[in-house]
Amino acid sequence: MASVVSSAIPRGQVDLVDFVDWSGVECLNQTTSHPLANALKQGYRDDDGLHLESDADQQLLIYVPFAQVIKLHSAVITGPEEEGPNTVKLFANKEHMGFSNVNDYPPSDSLNISLDNLKGMPVTLKYVKFQNVRSLTIFIEDNQADGDVTKVQKIALFGTTVDTTNMKDLKKIEEH
Amino acid sequence: MVLEATMICIDNSEWMRNGDYSPSRFQSQADAINLICGAKTQSNPENTVGVLTMAGKGVRVLVTPTSDLGKILACLHGLDIGCEMNLTAGIQVAQLALKHRQNKKQKQRIIVFAGSPIKYEKKTLEAIGRKLKKNSVALDVVDFGESDDGKAEKLETLVASVNNNDNSHIVHVSPGPNALSDVLISTPIFSGDGEGGSGFAAAAAAASAGGVSGFDFGVDPNLDPELALALRISMEEERARQEAAAKKAAEEAAKVETGGEQASSSHDTTMSEAVNTSAVIADDKRQNLTDDEASLLEQALAMSMDGAKSSSVDTIDADMSDATAEDPELAYALKMSVQESAGDSSTHSGMNKVLEDQSFVSSVLNSLPGVDPNDPSLKDFLASLQDQSETQQKQKEDSPEKDGDK
Repeated sequence: MASVVSSAIPRGQVDLVDFVDWSGVECLNQTTSHPLANALKQGYRDDDGLHLESDADQQLLIYVPFAQVIKLHSAVITGPEEEGPNTVKLFANKEHMGFSNVNDYPPSDSLNISLDNLKGMPVTLKYVKFQNVRSLTIFIEDNQADGDVTKVQKIALFGTTVDTTNMKDLKKIEEH
Repeated sequence: MVLEATMICIDNSEWMRNGDYSPSRFQSQADAINLICGAKTQSNPENTVGVLTMAGKGVRVLVTPTSDLGKILACLHGLDIGCEMNLTAGIQVAQLALKHRQNKKQKQRIIVFAGSPIKYEKKTLEAIGRKLKKNSVALDVVDFGESDDGKAEKLETLVASVNNNDNSHIVHVSPGPNALSDVLISTPIFSGDGEGGSGFAAAAAAASAGGVSGFDFGVDPNLDPELALALRISMEEERARQEAAAKKAAEEAAKVETGGEQASSSHDTTMSEAVNTSAVIADDKRQNLTDDEASLLEQALAMSMDGAKSSSVDTIDADMSDATAEDPELAYALKMSVQESAGDSSTHSGMNKVLEDQSFVSSVLNSLPGVDPNDPSLKDFLASLQDQSETQQKQKEDSPEKDGDK
């Protein structure tokens, strides 16, 4: 796609796809033929033929746990012009939310995805709110055309890791 | 072995007093629920099951999802019947109970027993179904009891709107002699989308059906697999033998018939069977067997043909001894036929030889409605064809004739 703004990674930030704990990743209201992996996983998300699609209605609820604590800086969310997401709410460290209680909590950040964003321009997040993130819940409320089906091409998250103790480095102190 | 949390919605409305499912709708429902709980907890030890009632004063959760089977069964006692069932509220409360399950890794499933009429619109049910699908909750519906028009349809649309990759099912059970639980055992509701649970289901079938019905030979394959296998194999062998015997008899009858017809119509000499048949007809007049003897003979010879294939000569001997007591001539003929056919290895040559045996073919011809041995055209044909196998026939003729003359 020639019109894609090359997603330059913001200075000092890292693509957090490597720190995602894949065993706990969940997505509600996705179609089985177009699952979350198409949008999130390295390789799949750059494949134009694969995308994430909503099933019963246009909302999607994505839960992404991380293997370690991270700080979240920005995100790239791409999709088609019509069916791409419009309102996206992010919740940090809220486990196992459902569609029923998604409106009970104030979101850590609420995004309005523009057409530029859909083409690849990163969305800067409220960095302050995402300093100590173990898991991220992404709630896609509606899409650009207000249709029944939302399609997401790619979801990429950028940030840095918080320095944590690497248990493998701990060595037993020798007794004298 | 799916890791699942299940909520069972019981219908304890007034409609459950009816006795069209024995002993009563409510009791058969309770039995079915007992079995389902057992199956779920057995298929995976981490599975949890919860129960709620939809009628009575209101929707009431009897037990939240737990893997303790005793607790679940205990709470099924002492339930009251009354009022109307509230399906939508029941499903919503079930959904909520599942949402607050302890192990979030479990898949969510609701099993609804719908025995009373449904007063909701299809649209409402569809909306509920879509909501369930959105929250990835699977739904199983047992449609029993009342069946006013529209109920089955409404429930079908409900399940269709929830269904995602065949995870939701609906079963319609009409009143009859079979218990509700027996019917459910064979459905995917029990077998859990085709995985696991089938071992338990088989054992449950044995327990509920008294261990006799449902199993061939009255032996439970689970208890004694070798015996069951041995019985099954011997049954199949016997059946195969009988089928082959029946087929042979049919083939022979067909061949003899075609042989007879061709002899009378077109002097066809290419069929060896026809030749033997015609030669034998001449002998038949000489021997003059009665119909009774002929049928006995036929029977004995059919058995002897079996003997050619599967060495069970004992039966032949037994039958032959009965016949022998009555008629020495018959006895001799039988002995001859047995000697001929016993030595054969291939069935076809054995059959030919038996056909050559005059007594057998003559008896068959006697029993055939269309063939009249006294037909003049047949007689002419016999005369012309008699030379071909006369030497062989003569040997046989001499001995029985001698016996006959005695």
